Amino acid sequence: MDFKLSEREELLRKSMREFAEKEIPPRMEAMEETGEFPVDLLKKMGDVGILGVITPPEYGGTGMGNLARIIILEEMGRVCPAIPMALQVHHMATQALSKFGNEEQKKRYLPPLAKGETMGVVAVTDPTGGSDVAGIKTSAKLDGDNYILNGRKCFITNSHVSDFWVVIARTGEGGRGLSAFIVEKSFSGAKLGRKENKVGLRGANTGELVFQNCVVPKANLLGHEGEGMNIAIQNIGETGRPGMASVALGILNAVLEQAVKFANERTLYGKSIGTLQAVQWHIAEIYADLEIARLLVYRVGWMRDNNIRCDAESALAKQFACEAAARSARKAIEIHGSYGVMKEYPVQRLLRDALVTIPAGGTGEISKLVMSRHALNMFK
Amino acid sequence: MRIIACLKPVPDPKHWGRLALDPKTKTLIREGIPNIINPLDKKALEAALQLREREGGEVITISMAPISTKPVLREGLAMGADWSILLSDLAFVGSDALATSYILATAIKKLAPYDLILCGDQTLDGCTSLVSPQIAEFLDIPNLMHVSAIEAQTRGVFRVRSQIEYGYMLVEIMPPMVLSVVKEVNEPRYITLMNILEAERKEIRVWSSKDLSLDEPWVGLKGSPSQMADLIIPTMKRKGEILQEEPLEMANVLADRLHRYRYC
Amino acid sequence: MAKTPQSKVWVFAEHREGKLAEVELELLGKSFELTELTGQKVALVLMGHQLNRFYEEILSFGADEILVAEHPLLKSYCSQTYVKVLENAIRKHQPEIFLLGATAMGTDLGARLAARLRTGLAARCIDLTISSEKKLLAVVPGWGGNVLATVHSPFTNPQMATVTPGVFDMPKGRNVTGQIIPLEVKLKPGDVTYQILEIRREEVQELALERAEVVIAGGWGIGSKEDWQWIENLASALNGVVGATRPPVDEGWAKEKQMIGQSGRTIHPKLYIGIGISGEMHHMVGIKGVEMIVAINQDPQALIFEWCDLGLVGDFKEVIPPLIKAIQNYKEGTH
Repeated sequence: MDFKLSEREELLRKSMREFAEKEIPPRMEAMEETGEFPVDLLKKMGDVGILGVITPPEYGGTGMGNLARIIILEEMGRVCPAIPMALQVHHMATQALSKFGNEEQKKRYLPPLAKGETMGVVAVTDPTGGSDVAGIKTSAKLDGDNYILNGRKCFITNSHVSDFWVVIARTGEGGRGLSAFIVEKSFSGAKLGRKENKVGLRGANTGELVFQNCVVPKANLLGHEGEGMNIAIQNIGETGRPGMASVALGILNAVLEQAVKFANERTLYGKSIGTLQAVQWHIAEIYADLEIARLLVYRVGWMRDNNIRCDAESALAKQFACEAAARSARKAIEIHGSYGVMKEYPVQRLLRDALVTIPAGGTGEISKLVMSRHALNMFK
Repeated sequence: MRIIACLKPVPDPKHWGRLALDPKTKTLIREGIPNIINPLDKKALEAALQLREREGGEVITISMAPISTKPVLREGLAMGADWSILLSDLAFVGSDALATSYILATAIKKLAPYDLILCGDQTLDGCTSLVSPQIAEFLDIPNLMHVSAIEAQTRGVFRVRSQIEYGYMLVEIMPPMVLSVVKEVNEPRYITLMNILEAERKEIRVWSSKDLSLDEPWVGLKGSPSQMADLIIPTMKRKGEILQEEPLEMANVLADRLHRYRYC
Repeated sequence: MAKTPQSKVWVFAEHREGKLAEVELELLGKSFELTELTGQKVALVLMGHQLNRFYEEILSFGADEILVAEHPLLKSYCSQTYVKVLENAIRKHQPEIFLLGATAMGTDLGARLAARLRTGLAARCIDLTISSEKKLLAVVPGWGGNVLATVHSPFTNPQMATVTPGVFDMPKGRNVTGQIIPLEVKLKPGDVTYQILEIRREEVQELALERAEVVIAGGWGIGSKEDWQWIENLASALNGVVGATRPPVDEGWAKEKQMIGQSGRTIHPKLYIGIGISGEMHHMVGIKGVEMIVAINQDPQALIFEWCDLGLVGDFKEVIPPLIKAIQNYKEGTH
């Protein structure tokens, strides 16, 4: 079992770190203030290959894979977690299209996503609740050559910075009555709803999509009728959860760096506080959280790249990493003392960012359902 | 055009906190400090790539370093260089700037005919700025240092900006030549995922002393006229001059010091 | 009647656009010091065209000999022609030590010359002494100044060094009028390998804190927004950027983006002047590796005095006005 990253992955990490450290900080203040994604960065990210990392080369990507994707998201997240939040949903759209799209759909929608001409969106969550996918009410009724969609999607990442969306809507009854559609913003009846004002991961645009007799051509059905639930679950499990876990991993990196820096430099009683055992324990726990989360997330990347089914491992990585990010950020704040709750110090923002990762892309509770389902069947 | 960029792997300054001194051997312990391409050399490579884009041709990187630095050279290939040469041999160990320049120049001779050799003005660790002019001397070709801009003229004559203390010189110079660049010259491009994949198919050729016709006494520790007598890592605390005089007097002392260090 | 140079220590007299560089005076001063015990003679080496315009000034410096290489082809600096002439002179007259300033010209010329002569050169050194073996010892910074090496060239001559401008003092009056001795120059037009078309001066531009070479920082001790103006004025006079610790930012005298230190910005200037700053850890942390740190503070016990190269104990309101005036005089050349 080789735990080392390959030369390619090391070089990838290095170049992604350079990109992130140079391009993101100048934009962070505006992101925190406005909650808007810096769209001017999108084309640069497309040029560097960040957007098409899991898109096949025939459609403008590199197909470098899931572990490469995780490394990219981790490095972006280390500088500003809102960025990989937006990127990971973008990748979810590319995954759904690559796996379930027909040739025309892939040719039409994948290249603009890889190039950074627009951002990708996967819209599953109805007002009825993201955890209750089978309870989706947004409807899609076949009418001649079109489907007519009615309903709304909420808490959708990249909603307002995207030209087309992968939308899950109801074409029939029950869990097998869901279908996936590619809805272009320009279709009649497709509207942008409210923008959300999040306490963390600001800079990843989150909002509502509204469908009022929205006309979607039959050609834009993704996969088959009734395949919607399957598409949504695979998308979340294979791409969404590892993506969110990578965001949390980025946060954990930043948290440890901030905590260590402060502990080494702040002096009390004539020496650095890093010499005090209580602080050392906090640091050890943060270090442990980072290492464990990293191992869990990288493993999912490896399993996906080797086509090994990993629903439980993916749920575990997501649930663990996001919780770890939140509790470690909290510890880092305590290490900072009162400075920890001052807005100029980044550590408080890291806690707010970590909190938002917990429900996003699947609540911890749902993750535990996935894990227990797997565990309860383990010894049969 | 054949353009050669000299790249030196240097310890990453982000981790220089790990630098330690072996008090017995008076050598630096660089354990665990990862290497990067010397930042000014990276800019030299970027300048080479931009020239290749303008004029066409080939960009080769050359480095004298241990075999373990191959991944660092791969980064140069991922930026866009066509292939790389790594000069590695135990016999090279202990070379000062003069011996290093000699070895690099001898290897570069094998790549003739070449048009330009590009280097960074200074390395982060050695900081001597000796190598680029000395390579030029061993190759008996002209050189310019402190280069902040390179323009190519149509008749094969280059117009180059070389920085001086209070501005710059505009110089007309013809290849073959050695140019060493300063930080103003460009911003190196980002490495793309596509390039990382391409770079894996590019060649890093390793040459040792048997591939080069070197004059043995001019190589390694014995080929290095510059010898080290002592090495210390000074502490951050400074033993400053503290003055407690009349304000006017102190102001004059400070102004004079600032003037002599060229701040006014 | 051509005389033969007797000097064993040679100092390169750099000049550009009709002005002699000050660094050779500093090197001269150090050379006089080094040769006090050995009694060796010190020469300045002057190269170029129509050099007699420098004679009066250069003779006043006190060098024992002025070695002059005069030729129209030396009018414009070109490393290969200068190296050719110097090599010839050095092989003929065998100096033991050859010093140049670590200037744009000196770093280039010194390096090529050392390679031509196959001798060692200590680059950008900050101190020179003579060892017990009568060899030149040079202290050379490496690793961005984090490491200091003492180097020598025990087996080759001349022992060469380029010296950082400003580290040595000017010579204290030496009552010697040197002899002007011409050096042989054998050059043909083909030796000149590049043309300097023109020299352009550059304006200093507005810089961000992180990239500034000169930072003037103020702390709690400034006291008021009105007095904060002195920080701005001094920064302006030195073409530097203003920095601040936390309290001035909290008080509104300085902006958030000007804050240096732990939660603020890490800076890497060459010159840092801290005024009214006590020197508490989390501010100082932001300024590792600065070449010159100056502190001005009323409290002689302030921590910052342990971290500075030059400390002034006093009221900044009384020090800064004459300081700015003196700086402006230097800039205008009226000092």
